[in-house]
Amino acid sequence: MSVSQATARLIAPPRLSRRLRAILASAGAVLLSLVVGGLLIVIAGGDPLSAYRSLLDGALGTPYGIGQVLVLAIPLVIIGLGLALAFRGRVYNIGAEGQLFMGALASGVVAILLPVGFGPLLIGLAILAGVVAGAGWGAIVGLLRAHWGVNEVITSLLLNFVAILIFTYVVRRPLRAPGSPDLQGRAIQPEAALPALPDLAVHIGLFLALALVPLAAYVMARTPFGFRVRMLGFNAEAARTAGVRSGRMVVGLMLISGGLAGLAGALQILGVAERLDPGISQGYGFTAIVVALLGRLNAVGVLLAALFIALLQSGGQAMSVIEGVPYAIVLAIPGVFVVFLLIADRLARSY
Amino acid sequence: MELSVSMKAIVKRFGRVQALAGVDFDLRPGEIHALLGENGAGKTTLMNTLYGMLPPDEGTIAIGGREMQFRSPQDAIAEGVGMVHQHFMLVPTLTVAENAVLGERGGPLLRKRDLAAVSERLAELAARYGLDLDPGARVWQLSVGEQQRVEVLRALYKGARILILDEPTATLTPLETERLFPKLRTLAAEGASIVFITHHLEDVISWADRITVLRRGERVGTLRPSESSAGELARMMVGRDVRLMQVVAGERSVSGTKEAPREAPVLSIEGINADGDRGTPALRDVSFSVAPGEILAIAGVEGNGQPELEEVLFGLRAPESGRVSLDGSDVTGTDPADRLRLGLGLVPSNRYRRGVIRELTVAENLVLDRVGEPPFGSELRMNRREMAKQAEELIRRFSIQVSGPDQLAGTLSGGNAQRLVLARVLSRELRCLVAAQPTRGLDVGAIEFVWEQLAAARDRGLAIVLLSTDLDEVLSMADRCCVIYRGRLVAHWTREELDRERVGLAMGGAKEPAVAAPAVASREI
Repeated sequence: MSVSQATARLIAPPRLSRRLRAILASAGAVLLSLVVGGLLIVIAGGDPLSAYRSLLDGALGTPYGIGQVLVLAIPLVIIGLGLALAFRGRVYNIGAEGQLFMGALASGVVAILLPVGFGPLLIGLAILAGVVAGAGWGAIVGLLRAHWGVNEVITSLLLNFVAILIFTYVVRRPLRAPGSPDLQGRAIQPEAALPALPDLAVHIGLFLALALVPLAAYVMARTPFGFRVRMLGFNAEAARTAGVRSGRMVVGLMLISGGLAGLAGALQILGVAERLDPGISQGYGFTAIVVALLGRLNAVGVLLAALFIALLQSGGQAMSVIEGVPYAIVLAIPGVFVVFLLIADRLARSY
Repeated sequence: MELSVSMKAIVKRFGRVQALAGVDFDLRPGEIHALLGENGAGKTTLMNTLYGMLPPDEGTIAIGGREMQFRSPQDAIAEGVGMVHQHFMLVPTLTVAENAVLGERGGPLLRKRDLAAVSERLAELAARYGLDLDPGARVWQLSVGEQQRVEVLRALYKGARILILDEPTATLTPLETERLFPKLRTLAAEGASIVFITHHLEDVISWADRITVLRRGERVGTLRPSESSAGELARMMVGRDVRLMQVVAGERSVSGTKEAPREAPVLSIEGINADGDRGTPALRDVSFSVAPGEILAIAGVEGNGQPELEEVLFGLRAPESGRVSLDGSDVTGTDPADRLRLGLGLVPSNRYRRGVIRELTVAENLVLDRVGEPPFGSELRMNRREMAKQAEELIRRFSIQVSGPDQLAGTLSGGNAQRLVLARVLSRELRCLVAAQPTRGLDVGAIEFVWEQLAAARDRGLAIVLLSTDLDEVLSMADRCCVIYRGRLVAHWTREELDRERVGLAMGGAKEPAVAAPAVASREI
């Protein structure tokens, strides 16, 4: 090996070690955030070790608990995958929450009103409606950015409120459950409800979420589309010069990430709430942003991050009940985690 | 009379490159002194040493007879030296007055009353020097010419008696240019000493009291415009020495003997008008065409519309009016993707902005524009093995120095990055190539390589448009040559008519009615 080759190797080490460093950085960030979380628990007057134990027990101690973690993880994985792809192309879709609600609304309307007796067909149509509605809601943002350069962060964020208000209106007025005084929309037809796995009480949307992970990984790593997304994210000018049509790409990424958020919304209606219910999302569209970033915009990473956060959130409720530690502390841990991850990222890159 | 500035034997090196090789420069009170030279002659570097931005490696600087050692621009400002950079250093959302006090060390609070006093002082200065500005106006609302006046006013506010302007006319419209110099004359009459850096001969001859010409880091001479002519200045600027002509001597026989092509043009543009990024006209009524097997060079110095022309030709910028045709069909409204498919290639002038993606590997960069096309896979799957094979071959053929195809492109040197770009562009099926500043910033060996590749591509029958600020490059490569000046094509020569002095003159904007053809539109090809 010549000297110049040797120095070149030093400057650009082989890919595996880059990946290894990224994994080490993530693991270090997890550890540090758990330590900081522990400190917060101490400040709140609890014992961190027993608190974490009750968190794990609560989340994974019973089949039902495991099921709840999975139910929570399903929308996070599905939305997180779409966001990871969009973020790779520097399309910052902050509107997944609204796209989820539009998807939920469309799929709920189909599941409530469409007179189709055959369950699988009805479910299929309801899911399709959800995907299309979420994608359409996302496309508004994409078209605005592609044609007039309107910042997608702002439009997608604001459209969240519009979507949630439309959803709430429909639940309160046209599709309110008969005789229900509060915010309860009508129940879906029984044929439209997603079957659940026996002991875990998880709807079969789980399999859809799991199937999407390798699919997304393949699209990101192996297809020209995934490659162009990365080109766009790294250097939009060079991508354009190399013949990438950035406008179409932006719209495409908004369609995909919006469609996946809509899919998550549909599954929440058909598999969890089984009625039009404003409580179908605990801010999943926003949490999924954290999931995508924690997962380093990588499909398997998104799966792991979604499970991690679902575990924290699900077990955290048990922990706060048993240990008397405020639930808010549990919710702070992913936030702390993101901060550490960004720091670790920076360090990993400079060494 | 005491000299305002006296710089003696200034030497400045950047690594192994000597930017200034012992330059003397002096400035008298009340004079307008032009610093003239080609790109890279060392004009800005020399002034940056005076302004305290760069410490000289050797030599002395005296202001008003006292020797100085500036460690930062603050030191220079304290001694009354002010500089207006080519790219303005203003905060667009702040007012003129706020911009004037930016960076001043005062108390922790900026009081309204203080600011009012500043505004008053600025208004007074503006009135005195006829700069005509509202201190309360926000900078983003101002035109480029007005922003430049803000910079001048700010320098005066900070007590500048020595004012350096780097390429003051580069970003101005002709009208703004006409307004600038009388104001500078007023300033000089009030006792300020002014240096302006330029490569526009026209400005120099009409407005300078004295002219210092730099070439490749050395002072060629200092003279008065009355003692000189545009022709002489151009000769001094570019020199008679032929830097790289020998390098392509072998090639020249190939390029030189080529008969003027008679085939139908591949690429032609007619009546192109286009705006620059700031919305001011950058190209005016530009027309030309280029046929297979010839290199049409568009020579010009910076700030005259070459980047905009490059972008219009490749579909990266939409012209306001005019028509771009490729093989006879109108492609004006198409994007780069379409033009790539039609066989147009681009070697972009900014290779890191447009040419390579630093975060991707060399192998990926070599097929950026062909992923998903056979043999590199389909839309459903990229064929990494074919990509690696292609990379191995191109790395060998274009002698790209890399540890392997998986090295990140961002770690390549400038010359190697350019080899990569050329390898990618020339490995496609091409009809026409736009090469913009293809050798900018490269060392001699790399330049030679690029020239050989371009000449070989031409000899294979490609139509090539070469945009260049480098006179040597134009003279070595061009089969035909136009000059672009302030957005217009101002001259046209065939290979036989090419003459260093005339091209240099036209690039500097000197009018030479004998050769200046209105535009190439009238040429029938």
